[in-house]
Amino acid sequence: MLAARAAILAVTLVAWEVAARPTGGADLIAPPSAIAQALFATVLRDGAIRSAILFTLFEVLCAYALAVAGGLVLGLAIGSTEMARRSFYPVVLLLYAIPQVVMLPLVTLVFGIGPAAKIAFGFSHGVFPVLVNVIAGMRNVNPLYVRAATAMGAQRADIIRHVMFPHMATSFFTGLRLAMTTTLLGVILAELYVSTAGVGYFTKLFAENFDPAPLFALIGILAVMAIALNELARSVERRFTHWRTASTS
Amino acid sequence: MSAEVTAARPAAISVRHLTHRFGAEGAASSVLAIDNLSLDVVQGEFLCLLGPSGCGKSTLLNIIGGLVIPTEGEVLVHGRPMNRPMPDRLAFVFQESTLFPWYTVSENFTIAFKYRGVARSEWRDRTTEALASVGMAEFARHYPNQLSVGMRQRVNLARGIAAGTDILLMDEPFAALDEQSRMVLGEDLSVLLARTGKTIVFVTHSLAEAVFLSDRIVLMSARPARIKEIITVDQPHPRLPEFMLEPRFSELRNRCYAALRDEIRAAMTMQGT
Amino acid sequence: MKDSPAASRLVQLGFLTAAVTAWYVAGRFSVVPPLFLPPIDAVWSSLNGLIRTEEFWSAIGVTLSTIAKAYGIAVVLGVLAGYLVTRSRFLTAVLEPVISALFSIPITLFLPLFILVFGIGTASKVAYGAAYGFFPIALNTIAGLSRVDRRYLAAARALGISAFGTVRHVMWPAAFPVILTGLRIGFFIAFASVLGGETISSVEGVGRNIALSAELLEPARMYAWIVVVVAAALVLNGAVSAIENRMRGQ
Repeated sequence: MLAARAAILAVTLVAWEVAARPTGGADLIAPPSAIAQALFATVLRDGAIRSAILFTLFEVLCAYALAVAGGLVLGLAIGSTEMARRSFYPVVLLLYAIPQVVMLPLVTLVFGIGPAAKIAFGFSHGVFPVLVNVIAGMRNVNPLYVRAATAMGAQRADIIRHVMFPHMATSFFTGLRLAMTTTLLGVILAELYVSTAGVGYFTKLFAENFDPAPLFALIGILAVMAIALNELARSVERRFTHWRTASTS
Repeated sequence: MSAEVTAARPAAISVRHLTHRFGAEGAASSVLAIDNLSLDVVQGEFLCLLGPSGCGKSTLLNIIGGLVIPTEGEVLVHGRPMNRPMPDRLAFVFQESTLFPWYTVSENFTIAFKYRGVARSEWRDRTTEALASVGMAEFARHYPNQLSVGMRQRVNLARGIAAGTDILLMDEPFAALDEQSRMVLGEDLSVLLARTGKTIVFVTHSLAEAVFLSDRIVLMSARPARIKEIITVDQPHPRLPEFMLEPRFSELRNRCYAALRDEIRAAMTMQGT
Repeated sequence: MKDSPAASRLVQLGFLTAAVTAWYVAGRFSVVPPLFLPPIDAVWSSLNGLIRTEEFWSAIGVTLSTIAKAYGIAVVLGVLAGYLVTRSRFLTAVLEPVISALFSIPITLFLPLFILVFGIGTASKVAYGAAYGFFPIALNTIAGLSRVDRRYLAAARALGISAFGTVRHVMWPAAFPVILTGLRIGFFIAFASVLGGETISSVEGVGRNIALSAELLEPARMYAWIVVVVAAALVLNGAVSAIENRMRGQ
């Protein structure tokens, strides 16, 4: 299986190389060899580009942390009572339905063109999967457990901690994984929009100068970063939910 | 009136030295399902394959029907070797309703007719007739999901019969039904046999069902499947419910149980049963 | 349990009313800088003026046609690819994880590449939207076609249905609900990604107008456009879930 996939990868790269080469620089799709060269000669060499990439990573991690924390707290609050859930969950779903990208110029207007806007936009993308999953996860708690806990003298906060939280833990971790993807999406959208600095500046620069190889290289690095972060989130999810046999998602 | 292969009553199905193995020979996971089994099914008889869970009776049925190619041995239906399903000669009725849920009841019939080469002009009448024979005539335009399990299985049965083949292969068709429905449908099946002279091979777990319905009962061992004994039930079709009250019925039933008891125990302790 | 769609709609409506009221109040008492949140009447009059202009409708036309083209391509390629992959079990086992893995990278990253290759016009947004929407459609088509209940396939064989007949009468109908979900997700992805592409880099269309309004520091106009998009999104969402609920009840 792994061999088959490696083979596919190899064949794709070779075909790409062969197809892209002969046009001699006129074509806009660079062959892998040129990309690899651009990667090491230009992109990784340049201090400005390197810091732009790292800064993007920083923004993603900040936004993610805020999204997880915010989604968890808000989700616990909304999901804790039937009343709150019935009132606010439809609102959450309503907001989820709006294509957030139209807010991007507004966010930039409010937060400026620095990291704040990107973190804010990443946050607004990442908070939803966490929120939705936490609320949904708290939904089917057996009322019997809640009653038993209350009878034992538990307060609201205790019930949340000892009954509801464990119950929704699985959904929460799934939400964590999804939130990584969406936070990345938000931050990247914001970066690409603000083309005066950061990663967006360089992509615009390479595109406008019709310089495909470094553009591919830069995007390649960001893609690798995205894959790595996703895999991290996925393994965290697996680590905490491997005991669940049936598929619950 | 025992069902024996004679010149007057030829074998509809001949199973010759059938051996079937799942998985490659010698492999650790390989399972011998059927071991050198030979059997003749007489035309017009109702033959039951009765045995413990997992003994291979469904596999045997699937091989007879051409759904599975055996590792060794052969199956002949009316003298012709079976290496693929032959819907014009044999019809299947499976345990769970395999009616397509996205088609109505009557559309499920027409699809069967279409691929069996039945003339288009006959489709409507044959559908109505088949449904009426199981008491489901008013449900032709319903979707399977709108019917109860019992109703669905009746339609499933009707679809198998409507095909108009000489041979019917039935794999525990009544297992999902309640006992009352089983008894009623069992009687109907017996009537059908008497009327049409079809050959029926019927797989079941139920001893009472086997004795009530069959001309011959093939008692099978636990895996790998071998024939333990063949018991003849000498009673003409159509069989009436009164047959169950006769002492002969209980005797036959006890004989079956006596023969199978050890096999049932063996099957219970077997892996994957 | 009052979990009916009607009850949630009511709550959503209530929320919208509250939001609009709050907006009005904020504008009246200048709670927030008008650059960030212009008063509601300013937005309203801007919207009114906008609707009367030629350029408003042509922008909408551009965006809608871009979405339509992107989605159309995504559907055709996605379903076709999904179908072809499931023709072989080996191919499914190898390719499905690959496609799934590719989808986990935000395709947005590749937007600059699309712009490089297709230019800054609508073609790049069509390509980008199509590429993005392709994935859920292809993946759901693969999932639907490769997980047809075996019993139906066995019944089809037993009934003597030909290979082609099996595809037509058994596999497609069985896979349809899953594929439909993919088509729905794909639509909303195409919709959002075209808008995103237009916002980030474009010469025309709704997204461009929003970005331009921001650049020109015309918040009322920007909000007017945002209101249009949000309203459209909510209507579409409502329509799609109404259709889905109807189909599920059948």
